[in-house]
Amino acid sequence: MLRAVLVVATILVSRPSAADVGALTSDSFPYAHGHGLDLDGGLAVAFPTALPTGLSRGIGGGITEGRCPWRWGARAAWVTATESTLDWTVTHSDLRLRASGSLQHDAGRGSFGLRLSAGGTLVHETRDRNQGMRAGLMGSDLETSTFALVPAAELEAVVSVHVVGSWLLVMSGGPSAALVGSDLHGSWIAELGVGWQP
Amino acid sequence: MIADRLALLGILLAGCGDLQGFGGDVPPLSTIHVDTSGDFDAVRTPGATNENLRVALIWGTEWLPEALCFLPPDTAELAAVVDAGCRNPLSFTPDRVAASVPITSNVPADLSLDALPAADVMYGDVTARVAYGSLVVFDDRDASGTLELASTSRLPQGGFDPEQDALTNDIIYGASFVAMTEPDQRLAFREGAFVETGFYPRHGCDAPLPAFSILGAGGFSFADAIAATAAGTLPSEPAGSCSEAKPEDTTVAIPFRPSADVREVGCVQRRLDSSVRYRQPPTDAPDFTGRAFACTTIPQLGMPDATAGIVQLVVSSKADEPCRGLTHYTLIGCDRGRLICDSPEWDYRANPPAWWPCPVQAVR
Repeated sequence: MLRAVLVVATILVSRPSAADVGALTSDSFPYAHGHGLDLDGGLAVAFPTALPTGLSRGIGGGITEGRCPWRWGARAAWVTATESTLDWTVTHSDLRLRASGSLQHDAGRGSFGLRLSAGGTLVHETRDRNQGMRAGLMGSDLETSTFALVPAAELEAVVSVHVVGSWLLVMSGGPSAALVGSDLHGSWIAELGVGWQP
Repeated sequence: MIADRLALLGILLAGCGDLQGFGGDVPPLSTIHVDTSGDFDAVRTPGATNENLRVALIWGTEWLPEALCFLPPDTAELAAVVDAGCRNPLSFTPDRVAASVPITSNVPADLSLDALPAADVMYGDVTARVAYGSLVVFDDRDASGTLELASTSRLPQGGFDPEQDALTNDIIYGASFVAMTEPDQRLAFREGAFVETGFYPRHGCDAPLPAFSILGAGGFSFADAIAATAAGTLPSEPAGSCSEAKPEDTTVAIPFRPSADVREVGCVQRRLDSSVRYRQPPTDAPDFTGRAFACTTIPQLGMPDATAGIVQLVVSSKADEPCRGLTHYTLIGCDRGRLICDSPEWDYRANPPAWWPCPVQAVR
């Protein structure tokens, strides 16, 4: 009984908290919208384009032009991954070059968008025969290296938030696909970086 | 302009190839060329028809024979036991089977190696170590695809017996490296520098080549080995008998031989340091049929110790068993086959088994 009375009394005397309205309306971190040109760059992680396992890490960036909601641009990312089996140590370095088009919506300090990118991924593959150096192997028995340019595309969700001035925090990520040989390889990519609107 | 772009595209495509990833052919770390010689039917073990011949690489290990096998025997009975149950003290001693491929008699074959010898079969430190292997031709009777190494069959014992015999049906018909007392061709894997040691020495020969190589040596006698050891040196290989070559440049020749001459190549040794496990006599008499046995004392290599008064019954393996070996029985013994301890695990000196053929106490 006593507990019930205490609960009811607490509900009756409670009020919405009163925040300092003045502090909310005065922006301590003023920002400015640009004039339709965005530059961004940062860290990128991705599933390798042509390896069946691993995590590629590297850098990525791009340029975006146009006014909301439709925008277009170009992007590039370089990521690399090294994985091993009993026989091989394989390093794939992926240079992802894309043309992109995006649908974007601004909301306050932030903006949300969906970006479709298509282009090619230049994959540089290095294969080292495990224990080959100790066994005295040389030439192509010890190491092979090759390039391959494969068509690829991504569909990414993009979130950017104005932090201060012309600077933004930019996050993006989504599924990716590449045609390696005659096989369609599914993967993903995610980026976290900073943007700049001149 | 278009021509320039096409030229640029051509240059780019010229550097392209197929991505292999983890797939594609795996080049072997080395390939050994092997050929057999001689008449297989002439050495075939009776009844072992429908042979499934293979060649295997066996990495060797260091092994020291027990003292009874190299000390001069003091009785004719003991000499018979040593003759029947002791292997050549300079035999190649196997540690691990590494690779195996089918082979047809008198037709060359290639044995591809996809792995290096493990560190535990290499001797020396990480700056200078070497492994030696013998290439063995065998009849894979159990169709397992590899050579199963055997061990000596022990006679029954009293008490708990923690050791199990390794049984195999495989029959060995030839080996490139049987013993240091014979001419041999061995596979070597050298890493780093080479330091000459007593591990299958080739004194007087050049060092093994880096990585894999095929080495040849003429062999030395047991007497030479004893004399060299007494002089603090290594026994020398005969002049002109040495060879060193890369595996791709030579062929390992393996002559067919009767299994009884070469089967010890496939016999692992339970103890590698010359120590002996003394066993508790069983209640019932072991089957001595086809075996030589003798009563003798415990060999004393230095000053006589507390074991000097103990008598042992030594029983040899049978001639048709795949591996030679000795079984040692004593009327007193301790855990792990030792003879000296505070509280013996068995002591039958006051009441030996009825079948015990030896005196209870050695005459000093």
